[in-house]
Amino acid sequence: MREGRVVVALGRRALSVQFRRAQLLMPTFVLPLVLLAVIASGTSAGQGLRGFPDVESFLAFVVPGTIVQGTLLAGLTAGIAMASDIEFGFFDRLLAAPVQRTSLVLGRLAGTLSLSVLQTAFFIVVAALFGARFPGGVAGVLGTIALATVNAVAMGGVSTAMAIRTGSLSLLQSVFPFMFVFLFTAPAFFPQELLTPVLQDVSVFNPLTYVVEGVRGMLGGDSSLGSPLAGFAAAFGMAAASVALSTFALSRRLRRL
Amino acid sequence: MSVALTLWRRSLNEVLRVRGALVPATVAPVIFMLGITGQFGRLTGLEGFPTDSYLSWVVPLSCLQGAGFAGAATGSNLARDIEQGWFDRLLVAPVPRPLLVAGPILGAVTRSLVPATVVLLVGFAIGAELTGGVAGLIALYVASAAFCAIAALWGIFMAVTFRTQQAGPLMQQGVFLAVFLSTAYTPEVLLRGWLADVAHLNPVTHVLELARQATVAGIEPSFANTYPGVLALVGLATALGLLAVTGLNRMGR
Repeated sequence: MREGRVVVALGRRALSVQFRRAQLLMPTFVLPLVLLAVIASGTSAGQGLRGFPDVESFLAFVVPGTIVQGTLLAGLTAGIAMASDIEFGFFDRLLAAPVQRTSLVLGRLAGTLSLSVLQTAFFIVVAALFGARFPGGVAGVLGTIALATVNAVAMGGVSTAMAIRTGSLSLLQSVFPFMFVFLFTAPAFFPQELLTPVLQDVSVFNPLTYVVEGVRGMLGGDSSLGSPLAGFAAAFGMAAASVALSTFALSRRLRRL
Repeated sequence: MSVALTLWRRSLNEVLRVRGALVPATVAPVIFMLGITGQFGRLTGLEGFPTDSYLSWVVPLSCLQGAGFAGAATGSNLARDIEQGWFDRLLVAPVPRPLLVAGPILGAVTRSLVPATVVLLVGFAIGAELTGGVAGLIALYVASAAFCAIAALWGIFMAVTFRTQQAGPLMQQGVFLAVFLSTAYTPEVLLRGWLADVAHLNPVTHVLELARQATVAGIEPSFANTYPGVLALVGLATALGLLAVTGLNRMGR
């Protein structure tokens, strides 16, 4: 019970620190939307290609890519904030507190989870305002938010593990482009059948493929676009692995102290 | 001038001292090049696409991106120096303030040659075409180096405005947006809606066209394809240079 309160308090702190300097959140909220707009306008001609699924709107087809990109950035933000806490000494003070070490990691990820709920809802609303239609309805939207938050926690776990392992803010900031490897090796913005043959093969092994397609299936209300079950399985698997990785990194860091 | 050269050497030393410092800026554009080609490679099948090799279309974009990231890192490094107090010591030195950032900008331009070259080599190795010959290559390198300097000015402006390393993503993503709100994925004729207008107004579209003289069959090296890019680079450098210097002059006063 007490550990739960610690997690909530740290999660609330993580979120309030993020929003206190709202200008630094701009990239997390605005960049994926701009990329969505760019891709929706820049590559929509691709809808005319043979093999493209019969979807009502190209914008709605690429929204899942944006949502997953948002989860990557929300996750990365968690790592950057953690590295900042380590570099400036706040994390050392937390370590001196009589709480379980795992709660320190979970607290940070609770902030990521809340951020991701806001972010995903924001992306869906903005896309809807610009004409995207989601046949999956309210259930599809709620399922998408749930899947996105699990995925954000998974990505947050990865970046938090890196932050704890290295304690380097500048390293975490340079990780940003690498997060896109996961995005670009999944059918984030184009159907899997229309990816180049090599990427088609690689995408099968990328868990984000199943997350993106799961979101697409739920928002589109069409399981032929992607299986929500496979999406949740992939996201939960990654989340469990990355939280374990962070906790392991923390215990190694403590042994070094 | 010797101050600028000393700080230039310092910024290059950092690359030698910090293991793998160049890796993110070098690997990221390669990843983007491969990723974008993999995602959108089939777009060359659309009528109006000037080349049948999407990789050749994307290589110059990735060179600019790599150079841009290398430039934006100047801002992150400056923010770190500001946070850790090192820059305060430089500010009390009896030298004009623009010289304090001229060295790091030169350092970034030097470093940017690495990602641009690696992207080119990887691109050529997997099938991109060198249609513009030596003239095209020169245009590509000029565009990359100058774009790196512009990204560095942007990063410096952000660093002196926010004075925290947490503004790092803002610096990188500013570059990211500038590059992608252009003809990054497809030529202007295939753009739809608002992006067609924005890309038309975005100076980086012209810089990309300058760079694409190296690898895109439909954009041959010529004065007509060169001068809009050069004008765009000069305009961007002037505007961001003024912002960066104004911010610098405000520091500690």
